[in-house]
Amino acid sequence: MRQGLKAAWPIALGYFPVAVAFGALGAQAGLGYLWFQLTSLLVFAGASQFALVGLLAQGVPPLLAATLGLLLNLRHAFYGPALRPYLKGGPLEAFFLTDEVFALALRALPGLLLERRRGYFLGLGLGAYLSWNLGTALGALGAKGLLAWPVLGEALSFALPALFLLLALPHLRNPVALLAGGVALAFHLLGQTAWGLFLAGGIGLLWRRP
Amino acid sequence: MTLALFLLALGTFLLRFLPWRGEGSLRAGQAGPALVVALFLVSAFNPPPSPEWLRAALALLGAYLGARLTGNLGLAVFLGAGLYGLLGLR
Repeated sequence: MRQGLKAAWPIALGYFPVAVAFGALGAQAGLGYLWFQLTSLLVFAGASQFALVGLLAQGVPPLLAATLGLLLNLRHAFYGPALRPYLKGGPLEAFFLTDEVFALALRALPGLLLERRRGYFLGLGLGAYLSWNLGTALGALGAKGLLAWPVLGEALSFALPALFLLLALPHLRNPVALLAGGVALAFHLLGQTAWGLFLAGGIGLLWRRP
Repeated sequence: MTLALFLLALGTFLLRFLPWRGEGSLRAGQAGPALVVALFLVSAFNPPPSPEWLRAALALLGAYLGARLTGNLGLAVFLGAGLYGLLGLR
């Protein structure tokens, strides 16, 4: 697990400013601290958390807000099957399965001994989870000033794209991955990021290796 | 509000857990590489196209070179992120 925790720091670096912003949003919206922290503790899926809070603040009925938040997370359904050849998914593993944890695990797990994989994955997830929740708490408690220095705030926010690039490099000659990526990017530029990612997963899922 | 929170939490967990747990019914094909490339593209390039794309591209190049030179993923991410911050200074 220690190896996974150590490997999680690029994710933690990228999560932190987003989580601080999320916490600060809750403080501004006047939502109770406990409720807000609970969203990070129980959901652990950034985009859908932002959507949930935004929709509720606009007066959208709770059931509809939760459903829309879930639609944003549909892509997560592809992550487990993609990792299944390397790791059996239990409840704890599934809880930690965010975009970034998935991408990093997909790269690292095939190179690890079978008996080390679960510990590594849980360390990875735990590192990401701690960063997300610590950032949420600090943001909600008024520490948004932590990111006021422009270089720091912007630099940290770019950690995740940089991480994704390095994880994507081995796949950039894979025509299926490029097609899926192109579709996702097109949808993203049209403001439909979640659907684009879902379609990308679907394209990859349907395309069997010869 | 609390009900919405619990529903989202439960639904998200099930979306992650059930397909992973399902025994062989859902073969992943090339979903992994496809999603990783897609996640990279959507995280790096925000609409609309702007000078920010050049800044992002330069910072990504820095991260790539960092990975090539050091072989350390964490350091390369740190280098790319730092470069992105510095390029934003006016």
